[in-house]
Parts: sequence; C-alpha cells; structure tokens
Amino acid sequence: MIAVLALLAGVVLGIYLDPTVPAALQPYLPIAVVAALDAVFGGVRAKLDRIFDDKQFVVSFISNVLVAGLIVYLGDQLGVGGQLSTGVVVVLGVRIFGNVAAIRRHLFRA
Amino acid sequence: MSAPPDSGGRSARGYAPDFLTELFRNPLDPGYADAAARRRESPAPPRWRGTSGRAVSIVVIAVVGFLFAVAYRETVAEEPSRDQARAGLIAQIKQRESETDQMTVRADRLREEVGRQRDAALSGSQAARLRNLEAGTGLGRVRGDGVVVRLTDAHPKDGDAVSGDSDAGPSRVIYTDLQKVANDLWASGAEAVAINGQRLTATSTIRSAGAAILVDFRPVTSPYEVTAIGPGSMRDKFDESRAAYLMRRVAKDTGLSFQVRDAEDLTLPAAPEPRLRYAEPSVSPSPSPSGSATDRKSSPGPSGSGTSPRPSGGVR
Repeated sequence: MIAVLALLAGVVLGIYLDPTVPAALQPYLPIAVVAALDAVFGGVRAKLDRIFDDKQFVVSFISNVLVAGLIVYLGDQLGVGGQLSTGVVVVLGVRIFGNVAAIRRHLFRA
Repeated sequence: MSAPPDSGGRSARGYAPDFLTELFRNPLDPGYADAAARRRESPAPPRWRGTSGRAVSIVVIAVVGFLFAVAYRETVAEEPSRDQARAGLIAQIKQRESETDQMTVRADRLREEVGRQRDAALSGSQAARLRNLEAGTGLGRVRGDGVVVRLTDAHPKDGDAVSGDSDAGPSRVIYTDLQKVANDLWASGAEAVAINGQRLTATSTIRSAGAAILVDFRPVTSPYEVTAIGPGSMRDKFDESRAAYLMRRVAKDTGLSFQVRDAEDLTLPAAPEPRLRYAEPSVSPSPSPSGSATDRKSSPGPSGSGTSPRPSGGVR
C-alpha cells in the first residue's frame, strides 16, 4: 500500500517538477524504464512469495538501471548501439514476463 | 545468474549450464531467495536496519515512479517537435516552389515581351528563323501532335520528397526509367519532349536526389507524364524501342503502370533560359537554318553529371 502511494508520489513529482532530461542522457531513458519495470515486477513477485527484501530490491534496481545504461553506452561506442539495447530489452522483457506470470498465478491461482 | 536453491538440492551459488533456459524457468532475481534463506538462518536484524531499509526502498519506488513520469513526458514531448519540424520543412518547400512558379511565370511573360520586341525590330524572315531556332532548342513554346507516355508508381502514395518513409514500399518509377523513355522518344523522332511540364533541352538533366526525381533540378512526382511532339510514326517506333519493352516488362512484374497514348494538339512549354557560363557563341552568322539536328554537335550535360538525355543521337 505504502509502495503504491510512493509510486504515485513519484509520478506526481515527475509531472509537477517537469524536469528536462539532458540530451546526452536521453537515449538511456527508455532502457532505464525497462530496467526499472523489471526491478518493480521482481519486487512485487518477491512480496507475494513472501521473500521480499528491501536491500535486495534497492540493489537490484540500481544495478539494473546502471548495467542497462552501461550496455547501451558500450553499444554506442562499439557502433552496435541498437542491437545491444535490443538484447537488454529482450532479457529484461523475458524476466518481466516470467515475473508477471508468477504474480498472476499468485493472484488468480491460474 | 545462480541456480535457484530448490533445484535438486544443488547449492545456491554456481552458474547454470544454460543461462537462457534458466532465465525462462526462474525469472526472479535469486538474491531474494538467498536473502530469505539468510533470514531463516540468522535471527532478525536489529530493528533500525529494518526500518531504514524500508525507507530506502520506498524512496526507490518513488524514484521509479518519477522515472516513469519523466520518460512518458519526454516521449510525448518529442513527438510533436518532430512533426512540427517536418511540417515546417514541407511548408518551406511548398512556399519556395510557389515562389519559383511565380518567377517562372514572370520570366515567361518577359520572354514573350522580348520576343515581341525582337519581332518588331527584326525583319520578317529573320524573326521567323529565330522563332524556329527557339522552338528547336526548347526555348520557345511549341504546339503539335505527338504521344504521351504515362508512368505511375505502383501505389500512388503521397510520398513527399523530404521523408524517405516510403522506401522499401511499393515499386516506384526511378530516374533511369524517365531517362530511357526520354532518350527513346528522341530516338523515335521527337522534336520536343517535356516531363510533367518541364521542357527538356540539350542541357537538361534527369536525376535522383534521395527518393525524389529532379528534372532540371525541379522535383517531379508520380504520375510522370512524358509528352513528346513528333511525326506520326513516332508512336510505333517508340512502341518497339528498348525503353518501351523494358517498361512493359517492369510494369507487368512490379505493378507500376506504363501507358503510351497518342495525343493531338499538345502544347509544350518553354524551358528556362540556359545560363552558359563557359561556352560563348562564336560569331559566324552563317549557319544554315535548315541544318538538321545531326549536324549539330550535341552538347554535353552540365558539370559532368552525365545523366542528361541528349536530343540528338541520345540512345545509349
């Protein structure tokens, strides 16, 4: 419950403050969002599995975003930018799907 | 990625032999299971650690929400600016084109004025000779019977010249098609040729710039109409030419359309005056007015673009 409120607070804050993202960081934004989604769904699933751990959640979020950004940066430098970030999206997408499936099993028993 | 602790009693750490299979089977970060196992083994952590951890994770969740909002706004904000830029460019192109059209109209008017003045100044036979020369070189408007060759892209979309977003789409007429058609029309005896109202002269160019076709540096778009004035036999000759054969094959294979029809009383506009920068008229006023086209040296295309259809003997 608190988590949902915190999420909403973040969204409201984002809309209210309306920060401008520097142009250098713009390519990393979508991939950061996907990484954050992965961390969030992982956390929700862990909560439902009753093995949620604050430290694990925080560390997984930060490292996910950083590693995803790093891979995109590396891809840009190596000249394979698009492909490497596709790899990131695929791996994180698979994890999101798996976790959402687990959450669904928890909620609907199906 | 380490193996899940419940997989056959294997120890929690160690790399799975097949990373992707493991990923699909157990998408949850194994750290959660490890942490849970650690908690089961050891007594609960001190109270202050639990609350501070909780606070940090709430902050992180707020950050995630913030990130979502920012990313959403960013994406939404980016879309209209791109559209605006494109619309602005298109508007600029349209405006410049209309400006060019206006100036062309003005130039035509002035040229007619010049012609009238000249006719008044010169004697009858000289003026007639001049007019004939102008008509022959494409600098004067001409009338007559001839053929119209019509080429259309397979799916006539409003592909504009700025965005290449219709590439890899349906088959399109390319500039070499127009070149071949124009060349074979000349070869079939045409005396005046125009593409979409752009009269071809000895120095005209037909070339491509991106997805657009430029005739004398002015863009032309589908449907392309190549009009030619020439003898009655021109239609038959052109029908048997290589260009017509090729275009019929292409039309059958790809679905773009190619039609040849006779037309009566065509009017072909005058071409803009060529600016000769290097060639100067040599002053020997005795060329025979009846000099046939083959006597004249065909002038090469401007600045070596090499794509200009040549009026005389232009078959390649």
